[in-house]
Amino acid sequence: MEFDTQLLYAIDEALLGIMILIIMFGMGASLTTDDFKAVARRSRGVLIGFMSQFGAMPLVALGLAIILDLDPAFAIALILIGCLPGGTTSNMFTYFSRGSVALSISMTTASTIMALFMMPILLGLYTTGFTQQLSEALFAAGEAGEFVIPTKNIIISLVLVLVPVAGGMVLRRFSPGWAKTAEDTAGFMAIIVILFLLGTLFIRHGDILIRTPWQLYFSAISLGLAGFFFGFWVSRLFGLQPIFQRAISLETGIQNGPVSFAIILLSFADTPVRDQMLWLAILYSAFIVMTSSFITLYYRKKGRFDWEVYRNTVVHNRLFGENYVTHYPDGFLPPRIAHDPSQGTSPSQKR
Amino acid sequence: MDSRIIASNLADLYKKAADKYESLPAFATRKTALEWEHVTFRELYERGRELSAGLIELGVEAREHVGLFSDNRYEWMLADYGIQMSGAVNTPRGADVTDDELIYIINHARIRVAFVENDALQKKIARLRPELPELQEIILMSPKSEPLKGVSAMQEVMAIGALQLEKGDKRVDERMEGIRPDDLFTLIYTSGTTGKPKGVMLTHSNMMSQMSVIPIELQCTDRVLSILPIWHIFERVFEVYTISCGACNYYTSIRTLGEDLQNVEPTFMGSAPRLWESLHQRILDNVRAAHPVRRALFHIAYFLGHYYQESIFYLTDNDLQLKPQSQIKRTIFKAGHLIRLLILVPWYGFFNAAVLESVRKSAGGSIKATVSGGGALPIEIDKFFNYIGIPVLEGYGMTETCPVIAVRTEDRLVNGTVGPPVPDTEVRIVDLETEEVLFPNKKYPNEGRGKRGEIWVRGPQVMKGYYREPEITKTVLREGGWLRTGDLGMMTFNDSLKILGRSKSTIVLSNGENLEPEPIEMQLRQSRYIEQCMVVGQDQKYVGALIVPRIDAFSEEGIKADSLKELSDHPKVNKIIREEIRTMMVRTGGFKRFEQVREFRLLPKPFKVGDEVTNLFKLKRHVIEKKYEKTIQEMFSAKELKM
Repeated sequence: MEFDTQLLYAIDEALLGIMILIIMFGMGASLTTDDFKAVARRSRGVLIGFMSQFGAMPLVALGLAIILDLDPAFAIALILIGCLPGGTTSNMFTYFSRGSVALSISMTTASTIMALFMMPILLGLYTTGFTQQLSEALFAAGEAGEFVIPTKNIIISLVLVLVPVAGGMVLRRFSPGWAKTAEDTAGFMAIIVILFLLGTLFIRHGDILIRTPWQLYFSAISLGLAGFFFGFWVSRLFGLQPIFQRAISLETGIQNGPVSFAIILLSFADTPVRDQMLWLAILYSAFIVMTSSFITLYYRKKGRFDWEVYRNTVVHNRLFGENYVTHYPDGFLPPRIAHDPSQGTSPSQKR
Repeated sequence: MDSRIIASNLADLYKKAADKYESLPAFATRKTALEWEHVTFRELYERGRELSAGLIELGVEAREHVGLFSDNRYEWMLADYGIQMSGAVNTPRGADVTDDELIYIINHARIRVAFVENDALQKKIARLRPELPELQEIILMSPKSEPLKGVSAMQEVMAIGALQLEKGDKRVDERMEGIRPDDLFTLIYTSGTTGKPKGVMLTHSNMMSQMSVIPIELQCTDRVLSILPIWHIFERVFEVYTISCGACNYYTSIRTLGEDLQNVEPTFMGSAPRLWESLHQRILDNVRAAHPVRRALFHIAYFLGHYYQESIFYLTDNDLQLKPQSQIKRTIFKAGHLIRLLILVPWYGFFNAAVLESVRKSAGGSIKATVSGGGALPIEIDKFFNYIGIPVLEGYGMTETCPVIAVRTEDRLVNGTVGPPVPDTEVRIVDLETEEVLFPNKKYPNEGRGKRGEIWVRGPQVMKGYYREPEITKTVLREGGWLRTGDLGMMTFNDSLKILGRSKSTIVLSNGENLEPEPIEMQLRQSRYIEQCMVVGQDQKYVGALIVPRIDAFSEEGIKADSLKELSDHPKVNKIIREEIRTMMVRTGGFKRFEQVREFRLLPKPFKVGDEVTNLFKLKRHVIEKKYEKTIQEMFSAKELKM
């Protein structure tokens, strides 16, 4: 699938730019330095999340690209999305899925920093085959040059993206009220802009949704779903409690979409290849909202019981002292929670 | 996951709860904001056993009435455990009991043994002793005060009991076995809105019937925040229900409520409309003080919540159906609502998550359901909580029915009604004058749904009668076990009960028009300038209102006043209130011309609990009318002069 006309006009790019700025600012506004310290405290959960985010997820993307035999540009975009850090959206979904928001925030914080190193390494590792294909295609088309992943540019754009985050954190430090407003506005903006982009693209290119091959839809949808699946099972295999499984699952599946826009726009030259990559990123961002809504509803229902046990333990510890242990009647708790000395409240306890 | 205990009587339930829930916390009391003391089900039961043995040793007989004068505290429950296990009956009343009430209750109920909460109460009762010939033993509950001469400390009684149990005293077990379902567990004197207190006789089977019909699912992980007076049957039934489910009761107070909501994160709360009104006010104040962007977001979210929930109500047949509707019309409307719902869902989803959730968090964030009872919940507040996603299960009942007659359930959440009657309970709508049964009556279309009349009820929760008042009992408890509630109501077309006011508080104007004062008062109380009010106008040409203005609201407007007296003399205040009454009456448009409040007077003092209003903030109309007789006369004559 090729784009005969330009996918995005300058105005759209400007809009995207503003959106990225606002969203990353909003993300910063939700963070405090304590969140960074908390990463160390929750090291076990964050580490398992890290493995699932930067270990499983890029591999899933690579696998999907190979199995579906995607165009190299789409394959690269898919892997790029697979390597992204988590964003604040996942924190909100985690909250509603009755997962551990604290872990979700720690993972977002950690992965955003780690992405600076991990993304270039992973992209270099997994995209070699596809960049070669692209170069050959370019050569065949009679164009000079070679397609390489602009590693340096990617790092620069990642750093650039972190600037508004830092700005947001400064705001949070000095005016929590405004920071809260910025946070809310950012979430709302993201949805509006994605919908607006989809709308204008649809109007402008008309048949774009029809021309898009099913493999592309499939990969955009299943990348997120596979992320949820692996996130859940990886953390389960390590014996984490359900509320942390849900947090890691959502954090793995929901990537920071705006960062992918920023990287693609800032790092890659303005060619049809870039448009193809952008299109996949847009599709992913649109579908992930829907899939994670459904997953969240499912988790919310499924996690009701252990969430109630968890909250009760938290409140008991808050009111009756930190060492208080609640004794439920025999058979009330499922063995998984009953055998955990922290009754499901700590990810660093083994079963 | 329904795990409630079903028992044959209250003492049996206490025993089964201890066996099943052992060391789970049963009750928690606040020491500081983050430091609470708790007692486990097992401890409570064992201590209760000791107290029971002690009471028996003191000479308390089975089925004897034991006074219990105290506000909410752990020792109240302990005293109740002790009394129930010795097969006796308690006669409870709050610590704010007046001298007259105390004398009346103790003598009328022939109380020989009475628990008193604190130092002030033991002194009061000691002072009144000459007028209490049958009272023999006084037991002081608070461990902090020194008992007077002739008063025993509760601890002492328990020590005596513990000694007896050690000696192998089996009397407690015998007493517990001897309790019959038809025995009383409590004798509650209702302050009532009219006349002298009446002792309502409630049996163990009344109480146990409630345990099985309460349509709320609680389990061991639930936390219940208790704020209403425990000696009121509504609160009491919910506390006992909490015990039966193994959940924990946390005692809070008006003063600390905001803090406790955040720290306890209750999953369930039962309270009177007054609390929901103040919570509603608090949320609105927060919104008003918020940043303009956030305020705008809240308004969008509320707008979406409103239309989303209304569509859900319509689609699930839970809309308020006061008139019969054809199936065809409903089907067409349903299609419309379905379309609207589909359009709204994504937007509602986002705003629900981003905005409404933080509003819900101000109520602790974990609330699954709430019950409102003990008075009518203003429809605006009712809807407000439903729209923001906190389902309010409004219930209806009275002390005489132990107390629940009807309550909304999660599946039958019809705003503006009190839901369907609870299982095993029959409800009739009866014509006030002819006593003809209007509902259910095959003679009328739809069996009489939509017809207004007095609510009569029959079921396992109906009291045995008023103690030593056979004449009054006869007027209320009719043949076949039907109880006249004295409330006006109707059955909606989706079988929910709608309450329309007290049949006795109906005001008849001089032109013969009838009106219910409650809806008008409820509407007026929505104003931020009006704290309390009462509508008057019996035999007058028009409706008038006595109003207690809200000092805070006026100080925000720049009108500073130290007292209500000063405020009520302020001409500008009078002007604002007059304007406010006009807008409040027009806003819903539901009031008829003759129902409009034409004249009002600002009162120099607020209504006091115990004097002008009952503990559940119901107006004692006759008391207020008598107290402000001159003001009312002057209000109605002034207008006539002007005209």
